[in-house]
Amino acid sequence: MALVLHAGTGNKNAFKALITAEYSGVNVELVKNFEMGVSNKTPEFLKMNPLGKVPVLETPDGPVFESNAIARYVARLKADNPLYGCSLIEYAHIEQWIDFATTEIDQGIARWFYPRTGYMPYLPPAEEAAIAALKRSLGALNTHLANNTYLVGHSITLADIIMTCNLYLGFVRVMTKSFTSEFPHVERYFWTMVNQPNVHKVVGEVKQAESVFPVQSQKKPAQPKEPAKPKEAKKEAKKEAPKEAAKPKAEAVAEDEEEAPKPKAKNPLDLLPPSKMILDEWKRLYSNTKTNFREVAIGGFWEMYDPEGYSLWFCDYKYNDENTVSFVTLNKVSGFLQRMDLARKYAFGKMLVIGSEPPYKVKGLWLFRGKEIPQFVLDECYDMELYEWTKVDITDEAQKERVNAMIEDQEPFEGQALLDAKCFK
Amino acid sequence: MALVLHSGSTNKNTFKVLVAAEYCGVNVELVKNFKMGVSNKTPEFLKMNPLGKVPVLETPDGPIFESNAISRYVARLNADNPIYGTSLIEYAHIEQWIDFATTEIDLNISRWFYPRAGYSPYIPQAEEAAISLLKRALGALNSHLATNTYLVGHGITLADIIMTCNLYLGFIRLMTKSFTSEFPHVERYFWSMVNQPNFSKVMGKVEQTPYVQPLQSQRNPQSKPKQLKKEIKKYLVKESS
Ligand SMILES: N[C@@H](CCC(=O)N[C@@H](CS)C(=O)NCC(=O)O)C(=O)O
Ligand SMILES: N[C@@H](CCC(=O)N[C@@H](CS)C(=O)NCC(=O)O)C(=O)O
Repeated sequence: MALVLHAGTGNKNAFKALITAEYSGVNVELVKNFEMGVSNKTPEFLKMNPLGKVPVLETPDGPVFESNAIARYVARLKADNPLYGCSLIEYAHIEQWIDFATTEIDQGIARWFYPRTGYMPYLPPAEEAAIAALKRSLGALNTHLANNTYLVGHSITLADIIMTCNLYLGFVRVMTKSFTSEFPHVERYFWTMVNQPNVHKVVGEVKQAESVFPVQSQKKPAQPKEPAKPKEAKKEAKKEAPKEAAKPKAEAVAEDEEEAPKPKAKNPLDLLPPSKMILDEWKRLYSNTKTNFREVAIGGFWEMYDPEGYSLWFCDYKYNDENTVSFVTLNKVSGFLQRMDLARKYAFGKMLVIGSEPPYKVKGLWLFRGKEIPQFVLDECYDMELYEWTKVDITDEAQKERVNAMIEDQEPFEGQALLDAKCFK
Repeated sequence: MALVLHSGSTNKNTFKVLVAAEYCGVNVELVKNFKMGVSNKTPEFLKMNPLGKVPVLETPDGPIFESNAISRYVARLNADNPIYGTSLIEYAHIEQWIDFATTEIDLNISRWFYPRAGYSPYIPQAEEAAISLLKRALGALNSHLATNTYLVGHGITLADIIMTCNLYLGFIRLMTKSFTSEFPHVERYFWSMVNQPNFSKVMGKVEQTPYVQPLQSQRNPQSKPKQLKKEIKKYLVKESS
């Protein structure tokens, strides 16, 4: 009697069980008329796998999910299956490479591929990190395969089947020849594996991707509150944002109102003489100006600006030579802005990450209530001391123009491209 | 003779092995003077694991890496160990939940935690996606545990050990009470597991985090001398006068 496997065709996770079945002489059949997103959401299916994912194998003793667990089960159906090794240490090494194939290889490929398909947010710095992690893993695999034909011992084991299926997704979708040529032993291994008759029978002809899978538009757009988008996306987002930008604003105001009656210790800044400049008005103008930014927003800024009630500051990161990894640098800046949350009512800031190659420079512009940097900010936000602070002399036209360029994310900035520009508002 | 485990001491992946060893009466010892980022980058270490990650177990037959594979090996050292199940379908279910704990639970906890800890890019949308996938996985786990005390059968298996260690990172770093209260059976399960003597011997007392791990700056504020701050203040006063 055949065991029934629930999955669509062409699913690399289902291949694991099907190839294992070929090697083990076990009869496994794909369920008929499986429809992804429908068949796996029925109550009967959820009884087999509460997560509603495929593959699931039906056995005489009940269902099994998770593709590796299914493949193992199928392998064990044949007594003393050589796929499973023949000693305790061989089992262990087979399992070690199965887990490596899953946690290191498959994860790296999945984090590269799935965001491009539109099922998850596509974020360039996340992709960059995924690719870097994947390269590290492929490098380790390449080292191992330099002296080993197969992952464990001298013949094909379950580890090879699972590794090959995981690599398969990478080879057909994202890893082009120029990417994989850095890992010649992995290439040799993969092509040997997919040409084994038992693998070929299930997977068919395999063709390496000629280009990285293109980014699809997002299917289910997430609606983050404060998108940290890379620079390229920035301009467009500005165009699209008007209605959305108005909403969080309204919420922020509502929060402030709710907070008002609470008997809180007054911030000394609240005791300053009133200013004609209303910070929220400026923030609204900044967020809502989509065209003619120079005249409308920047022009408006200088009309509103009150040098008696506010001050402008340039900041310059002191350790720019350490900014050698783009995402680490971006994290640093995001973390700073998060920690500035306590100053939201009294500050506005722009932070630029400058340069197209490391080391990146981090520079910023801040508007603070009062003529000095507020004491509570210096006390509570430790990032402050990582920057050199210089008060802007607004009588100096060159400095004023630098302020404008920073508010506007002008590019090139001081002769260099911007990696990212973040706004605190 | 004790098997030597290469790893720092308080890492959840190490806990898997140490707890499994407790259950199986196997003698596993942590290597002395392990230094993360140093010991695991030496040529000798890379011979044991070309990726340079911990944990790695030294056995009389050579090294093993990947924490789940190591735990399985330890469990198998004791023949007919009930933590590995007693029938083909029990093995399969144990492995199913081990893989679920890894690909659905741990992965999403990691994607939530590591960026915050400063090990990979922090991107709000990516975090949001990870949290929603984690909730989906916890929801599925919660429905399973609504009618099951343990993941498989009527006693603790290796699946429970690995699941608990993976949940542990979440409970102590990210998943506050208000987050987990949506998954009451997972809560009940987790607390009853970490209070088992073999677990608490390895993990000590476990406390749920009162807040989500804050986003770390790459630079440790404590490493800065106070004096510097004073200098800046002086400088600021001078500037603004
Ligand atoms: N770790 C699981 C992953 C399974 C998985 O992600 N399956 C996808 C298709 S490849 C799925 O069923 N997705 C449907 C869904 O997310 O609802 C395994 O190896 O079986
Ligand atoms: N899937 C592996 C993960 C191991 C892992 O990520 N280990 C981390 C510490 S928890 C490590 O060694 N990191 C060092 C590095 O990345 O160089 C396992 O379960 O053993």
